[in-house]
Amino acid sequence: MTTKEPRTPVSHLGSNLTSTKTLLDSLVRLAPRSLLSNPVMFIVELTFFVVAAMAVYPPAFYPVASLSLRFYYVEVALILLITVWFSTLADALAESQAKNTANSLRSLESEVQSKKIVMEGDIRRIVVSPSTTLRKGDLVLLEKNDVVPIDAEVLEGIAMVDESLLTGESTPVRKAPGDEVIGGSRVISDTLTARVTVNPEDTYISEMIRLVESSKRPRTPNEVAVTMVLIGLTAIFTIIIVALLGLSITLNLAADLSVLIALYVCLLPTTIGALLPSIGLSGISRLYQRKIVAKSGRAVERAGDTDVIILDKTGTITVGNRQATEFIPFAGHTEREVGESAFLSSWHDDTPEGRSLIRLAYEDGFIPRELNALGVSEVYEFSASTRTSGVKISQGTGFMLPKGDKSSRERGRLRRKFEAHVEAGSVIAEDETEIIKGAPDAIKKIARSIPSNFDSLINKISSQGDTPLALTRNREAIGIIRLKDVLKPGIKEKIQSVKVMGIRPVMLTGDQPLTAKSIANEVGIDEYRPEAKPEDKYDIVMREQAETRVVAMIGDGTNDAPALAVADVGLAMNSGTEAAKEAANMVDLESNPAKIIEVVMLGKQLLMTRGAVTTFSIANDVAKYFAIVPVMFATTLPELKALNILGLGLNTAVLSALIFNAIIIPLLIPLAMRGIRFKPTSTMALFIKNALIYGVGGIIVPFIGIKLIDIALLSIGA
Amino acid sequence: MSLKREIRQTSLPAIRLAVISMILCGLLFPLLVTGFAQVLFPGQADGSIAHLGTSKIGSYLIAQNFSRPFFFQSRNSSLSASGVDPDITLQDAQSQVARISSATNITRDQLNTLINQHIEGTFWIFGYPYVNVLTLNLALIQSYQTVYQQLDPNIFRQ
Amino acid sequence: MIQPADFLTIILILSSAILAARLLTPHIVKIFTYAPSRLDRFLDPIEKGIYRLLGVDPSHGMGWREYFLSAVIINIFQMALAFIVFVFQGGLPLNPQGFPGLGLDLAFMQVISFATNTNLQHYNGEGVCTQLPNCSTLSTNSAGQPIPGLSYLSQMTAVQFLQFTSAATGICVAAALIRGFVAGSKDMGNFYTDFVRSLTRLLFPLCFVAALIFVGLGVPQTLDGYQILHTVEGSTQTVLVGPVASLVSIMQLGTNGGGFFGANSAYPFQNPNPASDVFQIFLMLLIPTSLCFVYGHMLGKRKEARPILWGAYALFAIDLLIAFIPNYSLGPGMEVRFGGFFTSFWTVVTTAVTTGSVNSSLFGNHPLVILSAFMGMLIQSTPGGKGVGVMYMVMYIIITVFIVGLMSGRTPEYLGMKISARDVKLVMIAFLVHPVIILVPTVLAYATGAASAIGVCVNCPAASTGFTQIFYEFTSAAANNGSDFLGATGNTPFFNISAGLVMFLGRFLPIGVLLALAGSMINRKRTSEIGLKTDSVTFTIVLVGSILLLVVLTFFPFLALGPILEFFQKRVNGF
Repeated sequence: MTTKEPRTPVSHLGSNLTSTKTLLDSLVRLAPRSLLSNPVMFIVELTFFVVAAMAVYPPAFYPVASLSLRFYYVEVALILLITVWFSTLADALAESQAKNTANSLRSLESEVQSKKIVMEGDIRRIVVSPSTTLRKGDLVLLEKNDVVPIDAEVLEGIAMVDESLLTGESTPVRKAPGDEVIGGSRVISDTLTARVTVNPEDTYISEMIRLVESSKRPRTPNEVAVTMVLIGLTAIFTIIIVALLGLSITLNLAADLSVLIALYVCLLPTTIGALLPSIGLSGISRLYQRKIVAKSGRAVERAGDTDVIILDKTGTITVGNRQATEFIPFAGHTEREVGESAFLSSWHDDTPEGRSLIRLAYEDGFIPRELNALGVSEVYEFSASTRTSGVKISQGTGFMLPKGDKSSRERGRLRRKFEAHVEAGSVIAEDETEIIKGAPDAIKKIARSIPSNFDSLINKISSQGDTPLALTRNREAIGIIRLKDVLKPGIKEKIQSVKVMGIRPVMLTGDQPLTAKSIANEVGIDEYRPEAKPEDKYDIVMREQAETRVVAMIGDGTNDAPALAVADVGLAMNSGTEAAKEAANMVDLESNPAKIIEVVMLGKQLLMTRGAVTTFSIANDVAKYFAIVPVMFATTLPELKALNILGLGLNTAVLSALIFNAIIIPLLIPLAMRGIRFKPTSTMALFIKNALIYGVGGIIVPFIGIKLIDIALLSIGA
Repeated sequence: MSLKREIRQTSLPAIRLAVISMILCGLLFPLLVTGFAQVLFPGQADGSIAHLGTSKIGSYLIAQNFSRPFFFQSRNSSLSASGVDPDITLQDAQSQVARISSATNITRDQLNTLINQHIEGTFWIFGYPYVNVLTLNLALIQSYQTVYQQLDPNIFRQ
Repeated sequence: MIQPADFLTIILILSSAILAARLLTPHIVKIFTYAPSRLDRFLDPIEKGIYRLLGVDPSHGMGWREYFLSAVIINIFQMALAFIVFVFQGGLPLNPQGFPGLGLDLAFMQVISFATNTNLQHYNGEGVCTQLPNCSTLSTNSAGQPIPGLSYLSQMTAVQFLQFTSAATGICVAAALIRGFVAGSKDMGNFYTDFVRSLTRLLFPLCFVAALIFVGLGVPQTLDGYQILHTVEGSTQTVLVGPVASLVSIMQLGTNGGGFFGANSAYPFQNPNPASDVFQIFLMLLIPTSLCFVYGHMLGKRKEARPILWGAYALFAIDLLIAFIPNYSLGPGMEVRFGGFFTSFWTVVTTAVTTGSVNSSLFGNHPLVILSAFMGMLIQSTPGGKGVGVMYMVMYIIITVFIVGLMSGRTPEYLGMKISARDVKLVMIAFLVHPVIILVPTVLAYATGAASAIGVCVNCPAASTGFTQIFYEFTSAAANNGSDFLGATGNTPFFNISAGLVMFLGRFLPIGVLLALAGSMINRKRTSEIGLKTDSVTFTIVLVGSILLLVVLTFFPFLALGPILEFFQKRVNGF
C-alpha cells in the first residue's frame, strides 16, 4: 500500500470562471425547463417574465402598475434574470469542477500497465497499455512479478499468485485454468494467460461520472429534506405576497406589483435555492480531489454522522511494518555480536523488518566480519510452520548487495563502508555459522539452551508494546531484537480530532493484546481488538449498528467485503479486491486507509455548508423586510417609513435589497464549492460557532450590504 | 381498513361518549358546583347582593347609576370594558369629595377618612388602590343616616 | 416601563404557576401512563362503567390514524349535540330569560368555536335585550343581525360541556403525541381511555375546587334568573347572574376563554377583584406549563422538557417586554380594579396560552400590547394552549433541529431519531396551515365587503384599526385563541362561517399532521449518540431565535399594517 498526501485540487475557480464553455452552459441552463428541478429558481424566473411583461405593457397590470415606472420595471426584471443566472452559473461551475476532477481520476486509474494479447492473424502480439483500456473478454499475459491489472479468468498456465495485499492471506495461491485472478494481486512465479471478466468502468467509475452530472445526479435524502423546507418557505411567501396584493387592492394601499415581486423574490430562499445543487456536487468533487471515489452522495452525507470508526492498525495507524530499534544481548554476549548476527540473518530477508534490522546494525556500526561469506550462504526462508528464518554461512569472500528496493545511493554507501572494513583487515572468515531469528516461542523450541531471563525479557518488551525477535547463533540464544511499530506521521493528531468530534475510534490488529494496547495508548485510542481476524470487522460493525451507531470502516481484502457492505460508510482500497470495492460505498484510489478520517470530515463539512447557507439565506430576510416594507406603501401609509431604520432612499431601497439578494449568490459560490472551514471540535461547539456566524451574521450582513448598495445607487443617481 | 369502515366503527362508541360527556360536563358538574356553592357561599353565589335594611338595593359587584350629588358616582359606563365597573380609583373618589361635602355638609376630612377605610385592591406592596362605589355610598348612608334621611327619605323607604 | 412591584407580581405569579405545574406533573403522568394512583379505588369503578357503556376496550392501543379519527369523530358528535341545544334553547328548560334560539350560522360557528378550544364569541351571553328581564326580543348589531344571549342550559350543556371536552381533547392529543416520541412505545394509546381519564382525574377535580374558590371570591353560581332590584336612587337594576363560577373554572383551566358574559372576564361577576384575576391567570398557565414537564417525564428524559418549557417562557418574556414598553395606566376600555397593569398582563397571558378570555376591551389596549397578543397567537406555544402548545413546540424543535442542526455537521436528529424528508414535509405543512387560514379569509373579508358590512373601516388606510380587527379575528380563530375585537358585531353569515372553518382547520389539520409525524416516530431507529444536545441552553436560545424568525418573517407585513402602523400613527400624533 502506498501512502500519499491528498493532492491539491486539480481545477480551481479561477480557471473555471474564464471558461467559455462553463459560461455558455450556465446560459443554456436558463431555459425554464431545465430549472424545473429547482423550484425556487423556477419561480424567480417566472417573476422575471411577469415584470418583463409589466415593462412591455404596463396597462395590463393596472392598478398595481404604472406607466411612469416602465424604466424601473426593466431594472427589476434585469436583476431578477441575473439572480437566476447566478444560480445557473453556480451549477455550471460546480459541475465543470467535478467533471474535471473526475477526469483527472481516470488518468490516475491508468497507472497500472497491462500486457494485452492481440492476435494479428496467427501472430500473438503483446501490447502494453493502461488497464483502463481493457475490455471484458480481452486476453492478458501475466508474467512473473506482474500485477494483475483487472479481474480475469485463467485460460492457460499454472502459477503462484500473491494475494496477500488483497486477502491478507500471506501464502501464495496456486492458480490454474478456470481460476479467477483478482485485480491488484501479484504473480510470483511462472506465467499465465487470462481473459478479462469485467470492464474497468463497470465497477465504480461509471457511477462516479454519473454522480457529477447534475441532471442525472440522484438527490440525497438530506437534499430532498432541505428541498422540502425550501418548497415550504416558498409556499409561505407565496401566500404572503398574494395576500399583500389582495389587501393592497381592496384597501387601496397602492402598492406596485413590481415592489411586491421584489419583496417576494427577496424573501424566497434564493441563496440556498441557487447553491443547494452546487454544494452537494462540490462535496463529491472534494472527495475526488482526494482521490476518493464515492458511489453515492448519500454515503458522503452518512459519513458526517459517523459515531464509530473502525481502523486497521497496520497501514492506518502504523506505517505497516515494524522496525528494529534495539539489540539486547543475553549474558555472555555483546550487543555487537547480536547486531552482527542480526545483520547476517537478514541479508537475504527482503521484508521491511529484515531491512530495518540491517539498517539498525549498520547505523550502530555492527558490520559482520562474515559478510564476504554470505555469497555462499544457505538461506532459510521464513515459513509459517517454523516461524523463523535464517542463514547458514560457509567460508567465502565477496560482497553481495542486499536485494529489495534500496536506492542505488544507499547500496553504494553500504558497499564503500564494507570495503573500508575489509581494507582495515577486520573481516576474518570462520567456519560454518548458522544464525536463526524468529518468534521467541519458536526459537525456544530449537535453541539448545535458554537463558534464565529469556521469558522475563520477552514479556518486558511485549508489555511495552513492542515485538521481540529472538536470535540464535549455532542454536545458542544470544539476544533479543526489539521491533517497534512506527506510527504514521500525524496520525495521533488525526485520532485526537476524531475523538474531539465525538467519534469513537476502534482499532483492529492481529497483534497480541499487549502490543495492541501499547499502540492504542500511544495514539489515544481507548478501544482496540487484538488478535483480530478480518471477520471480526463484520462482528464489530454489526454490534455497533445494533447499538444504533453509525459505523465507518476501511477494507481491502475479500474477507472485508461483508463488513464493507453493511457498514454505513465503507471505504475500500483501490489495491483491494474487486469484491471489497464492490461492497464498499467509496474507493480510495491511492489506497491510503487513513483517509477514512478525511471522508468523515468531508461529510460533516458538506452538511455544515448546506445548513449554514440555508440558515444564512433565511436570516437574510429580516433585513430585506426592513428595506422594502417601509416603502411598499409609502404613498398611502407614510407612517411606516419609521421602519426604514437603514435610512435607505425611497426610490432605491427596493433595488438595493434586490441587488443584494442577487449578488450574495456569486459571493457565496466559493463557500459552496470549497465548503465551510472548520476546526475539529465537539458537535455542540461547531453548532454554536456556525449558528453565530451564519445565523446572527445572516441577520446583520444584509443590513450592511443593502445599506452599502443603497449608498452606491444614490451616488450614481439611480 | 377503509376510511369509511373506520368511521363507522368509531361512530358508535363516539356518540355514546358524546352523550355521557355532555351529561357529566354540562349537567352533573355545574349542578354539583351550584349545590356546594349555595351551601358554602350563599351570598356570593347569588350575586353579592347588597342590602339596606331588608331591601336588596343592588350588587356590590355591578355598578349602578348614582346621579345625585350627595353620592359617589360610578365611572361613565362607556369608559369601562364591562359597562358595569363597580369601582372607581382613589383619585376619582377624592375628586368627588368636594361636591359631596357641599351637598351634605359632611366635612372633607370625614369623607376622606371614609374613603381610606374602604380602600381595596392592594396587598402589601402589590396592586393599585380603588374603592367600590356602592360600598362607599352604603357606608355614607349608614354613617350619616340622619343626613341622608333629610336629603332623600325614599332611600330608607320599606 | 414596568414598576418594580408589578415586575415582582409577574415573577411571583409565573413562578407559583410553574411550581404548581411541576407539582401537578407526576399526577398527569400517571394519568397517561395508566399507572396506579390513589384515585383508582374511587375512580376505577366509575371509569370501568363508562368504558362498558361505550363498549370499548380501554387497553386497546391505537395507531395515530385511529386515535386522530376517534378524536375528530367524537368532537363532531359533541358539536352536533351542542348545536341542537343552541338552536333550540328557546324551547328548552333552564331559560329564565326566555332567549330565542341561535341562528344556524351562528350556532355552527359557536359549536366549532367551543369544540376547538377557541371560544370566539359572536354573541353576548347576557344578550342585548330590548326589554329586561324578558329577552325574547333582541337588539341588533351594525350588520342588522340580532345580538343573541344564551340560556343557562346552553351555558351549561353547550358551552361548559364543550369547554371540558375540548380541553380534554387537547390534553389527549398531547399525550398521544408524546407517546409517539417515547422510546419503546408500541402505539399512541387509547383515545377513549385518555379522554375519560383526563376528565375524571384532572379536569373535574381541579375545576371543582377552582369553581368553589371563584364563588368564594364573588363569582355567582345559581340557576335562578336575573335579579331585579331597586337602587337607593329609586331606579330598577337587573343583576345578571347564573351558573358562572363553574364555567369560569373550566374556561380558564382549560384555556378555552369563552366567557359567561359578553364582556368576558372584564365583567365583575366573572372576575370580581384582583385576587380572582390573579387566580384566573394562574389557572390559565397551570396545565399548559405542566404539560411541558409531562413531556420530559413521559419521555424518561426530563431535560428534554427544558427547551419546551424555557423556550416557551423566554418567548413569553419577550411578549411581556413588548407589552410593557409603553406606560400602562388605567385608560378607557379597562376596569378600575385591574388598572393598566393587570390589563396588559392579562392580555399577554391570555394570548400566550391561547385562552382568549379578556379582562378589558381590546380597543383600550396599547398597540404594542396588541402586537404582543398577536405574537402569542401566532407562535402558539408560549406555552400555548392545552396540549397543542407542546405539540407546536415539538414542531418548532424539529424544524429548528433540521435547518440549524445541519450546521453541527451531522444529519439532523431529534431524540436520536433521524429527521427524514417526510418529517420535514409534515412539519412544513403544519406550519403552512396558519398563514393560509389567517391570510385568505382576511383578504376575503375585504374583497367580499363583509368587513365594511359590520362597519370596519375599509377605505381608510390612515386609520388601520379596522385591519387590526379583521386580522386579529382570523388570527385568534386560527390559533384557537378566542379573544377578539368583534364580539357580537361579528355575528354575520360571512364571519360566522369563515371563522368556523378557520377554527376547525386551525385545530384539526395541525393535530392530524403532527400526530402523523409522532406516529411515524414509533419504532423508528434511535441512536444513543446525541450530537446536537436539544436539552441544552444553547439550543433553547437558538430555538427561541428560530421561532421568532419564522413567525416574524411570515407575518411581519401584516403586523406592519396592523398594530405596528397604529403604534407609529399614535407616536406621530403625539402619543
